[in-house]
Amino acid sequence: MTETLIATIVSGLLLGSLYALMASGLSLVWTTLGVFNFAHGALMTFGAFVAWTVAEAWGLGLLAGAVAGVGAAALAGVLIELLLVRPFYGHRNMLLITVMTTLAAMIILQNGAQVIWGARLKQLPPIVEGNVSIFGAVVSAHEALIIVIAPLVLLLLWWFASTTRTGRSLRAVGQNQDSAALIGIDVPRAFSLAFGLSAALAGLTGVLLGSIRFITPSLGAEPLVKAMIVVIFGGLGSLGASAGAAFVIGMLEAFLVLWLGLYWTPSILFLLLILVLVFRPNGLFGRANA
Amino acid sequence: MTTSLLEASHIYAGYGEVPVLRDITVHVGAGEAVGMFGPNGHGKTTLLRTISGLLRPSNGTVHFDGDDVTIAKPSDIVGRGLVHAQQGNMLFGDMGVAETLELAAFKPRARAGAKAALERVYALFPRLAERRKQLARTLSGGERQMLSIGCALMCAPRLLLLDEPTLGLSPRLKEELAVAIGEIHESGIPLILVEQDVEFLLSLTDRLYLVEHGEVAREIDQASAPDHQEIMDMYFGTAAT
Amino acid sequence: MTRTRIAAILVAFALLALVPLVVTDSYVRHLFIIAFIYAVVASNWDLSLGYTGLFNFGHLTFFGVGVYTAAILAETVELSPWAAILCGGITAALAALLISAPVARLKGIYVVLVTFAFSQLAMQVVLSQSDITGGAEGIVRIPYLQVGDYRFIRDYNLAYYYTAFAMLCVSTVFLLAVVASPFGKSLRALRDNPDYAASRGISVARQRIMSLVLSAVFTGIAGGFYAIYLRVASPEVFGFGTLSLALSMVLIGGVGTIIGPVLAALFLTFLTEAMAGIRGLEDARFIVVALAMILVLRLAPGGSIEMLSRLRLGAGFRSRRETTDTAGNRS
Ligand SMILES: Nc1ncnc2c1ncn2[C@@H]1O[C@H](COP(=O)(O)OP(=O)(O)O)[C@@H](O)[C@H]1O
Ligand SMILES: [Mg+2]
Repeated sequence: MTETLIATIVSGLLLGSLYALMASGLSLVWTTLGVFNFAHGALMTFGAFVAWTVAEAWGLGLLAGAVAGVGAAALAGVLIELLLVRPFYGHRNMLLITVMTTLAAMIILQNGAQVIWGARLKQLPPIVEGNVSIFGAVVSAHEALIIVIAPLVLLLLWWFASTTRTGRSLRAVGQNQDSAALIGIDVPRAFSLAFGLSAALAGLTGVLLGSIRFITPSLGAEPLVKAMIVVIFGGLGSLGASAGAAFVIGMLEAFLVLWLGLYWTPSILFLLLILVLVFRPNGLFGRANA
Repeated sequence: MTTSLLEASHIYAGYGEVPVLRDITVHVGAGEAVGMFGPNGHGKTTLLRTISGLLRPSNGTVHFDGDDVTIAKPSDIVGRGLVHAQQGNMLFGDMGVAETLELAAFKPRARAGAKAALERVYALFPRLAERRKQLARTLSGGERQMLSIGCALMCAPRLLLLDEPTLGLSPRLKEELAVAIGEIHESGIPLILVEQDVEFLLSLTDRLYLVEHGEVAREIDQASAPDHQEIMDMYFGTAAT
Repeated sequence: MTRTRIAAILVAFALLALVPLVVTDSYVRHLFIIAFIYAVVASNWDLSLGYTGLFNFGHLTFFGVGVYTAAILAETVELSPWAAILCGGITAALAALLISAPVARLKGIYVVLVTFAFSQLAMQVVLSQSDITGGAEGIVRIPYLQVGDYRFIRDYNLAYYYTAFAMLCVSTVFLLAVVASPFGKSLRALRDNPDYAASRGISVARQRIMSLVLSAVFTGIAGGFYAIYLRVASPEVFGFGTLSLALSMVLIGGVGTIIGPVLAALFLTFLTEAMAGIRGLEDARFIVVALAMILVLRLAPGGSIEMLSRLRLGAGFRSRRETTDTAGNRS
């Protein structure tokens, strides 16, 4: 009995970690530029594919693959910002237009991956082999590592945003572009940086996920949708709230699967989402104008 | 005119297709404090935004310390020491006072003297020192203006553009800010001060521009000018709305 | 709408009515039928997205709900396919009512997120409730349409062609009537000037609910027809591919024009089908559609109809560009 419980908690933490990594990337871009990046999930897929190519197809090893995957995703993110977002700054319909251009970027990345890598299932080797036992429940060491890495990455991100000069400058740009420019912050560069960093997070998620799921062109679609639900609950405006909401949703999902099974879980999650939105239109933790 | 610190010549600028500035020319000499006044909506703020690089003029040039900065990025212009404190500036609502001031010393040139500058800002505005941790959006109007000016001082200014720093403040606070601005100028920083209150300007500056319809309607040099009362009559005579 | 425009539309529809006289190939007729279905979906989407200015990205949910309603009723419950198709319209309207409850009160990006999440969760529900929906395999061998003993598949899809065409005509007349009605005018007022409209007592929430429900009816019917015509229902209808194709039709046709998306649907269906026929381009066709979308957004955010009228006006295009440039942040 306790074993099932612990296994469920571990599974909830794993899902929560995954969703938190995705949601924090979305939130970083949103708070800095006011853009919702629909291509975020596709960037994750792209990172996983590049990592697979370097690590497996070229045989250069997992570390080189991970670095290449994260780097390639970051580069793609910077390009998306440059080509598909920047031309629309200050446009009166910028929000809607950038939703559509990043959606287009997602289609291009996803179908591009299909053309380049094909539909054959691929998988990365785990970072660490074997299993570990947590209070009697047996978990793969790779999954345990994800549960440890994700909070560390989130802490690092929080430390970066709140104490470093560059991190603070991103927050400043998000709060007031003109004032940021007038104290000497290069606003366009801050935009590139935010997009690149967020995409690097997506790439990292892809590398981590690439050894527990199969890498297919639509690998990132489901995590993106879950991350969207997370930000609906937690609001896009703050890193802490979206990370918190990510773990709540992950845990909820794990326990729903335990109690109700896979058959009913999506329907119940769906119902909960509608209910919460009817009673709290700004999300569970969201502020009125988050 | 090569001795001028700032020279904005024959500037045309506006928003979209609406022209605001029409062939306006102003200059600031080394060590000078220049006032600017005129009716609302006639382009004072637009001129300052053009000088600091937030807006690109459709015509005309801006020279700072001999260099052409007409198409320079705002961040580069700040780096040169041309610093603009905006009108009604909200700054960064979710940042604390101390954090904002520390961040404002962003350019390498400003970073070098950040410690001394911070002490100076706190000495000039003790209220800010009392509110180091308070978030900018919870500050009162007067405190916000102090923070805005404080931020500008953190940028190591060689010329300060202050856009209506006393807008909407009580007479007492206004007096407090007047003293602070006077001290800033006396410490050797030249400035352009935009204000509605001509008396306030007369007490702080050497020379005034009356801006109307996007151009300089009159330039008044205090050394050779009629007395205060006449200037006031002139202003309210031409610009009564 | 000008008189010449109305005349042009009437001529275009009259020509479409004559197509089967010339085109006897059942595959080409099939393409027309698919295009008509997409035209209904895209033009109805335009009502909420373009006319109401509601950032609705869950429009394909209504289509999917129609698809599955018709499939389940016709295949499992053995209702007449005709009735099943109409029921698709009803359930889609109910789904719209459900989603409009939260959406009526949301702002900006949260409307996008909630409507989009709604469609994705609907897909999850369909995938997981495999006893009813067939899960990932979907529902197959759905009963076909017939009148008396006449099966619609006969005569190279002739009856299907005219049924789809009639559906498009009724839907288009319905949309144009909605847009021309006082309600339609108030929608535009609200979109273009929210503060003024609010001060005149126009309720944002009510407008949004009405526009979502109205736009769902024919979308659901189109979904029902799609399921009955193809005789399958699969979860793909909720996916990114269908979404982006329909969105590109609205965008390329011109947001807020109703007729534009109809024309774009015809054009893009033939284009993508033609590319699907070329080896090596099967997967690339959506890339081309996405690139076209980006190009339209870069060059003419209003879509091709606006682009055409701009070409005629000449200078209009350039002045808009300048406005965006100076308003843009150069910092
Ligand atoms: N962001 C803007 N977009 C469009 N017009 C603006 C904008 N900012 C100011 N204006 C217009 O430019 C003109 C000059 O404004 P401003 O420079 O702020 O005047 P002042 O500072 O002298 O009161 C006004 O008519 C104002 O309405
Ligand atoms: Mg002003």
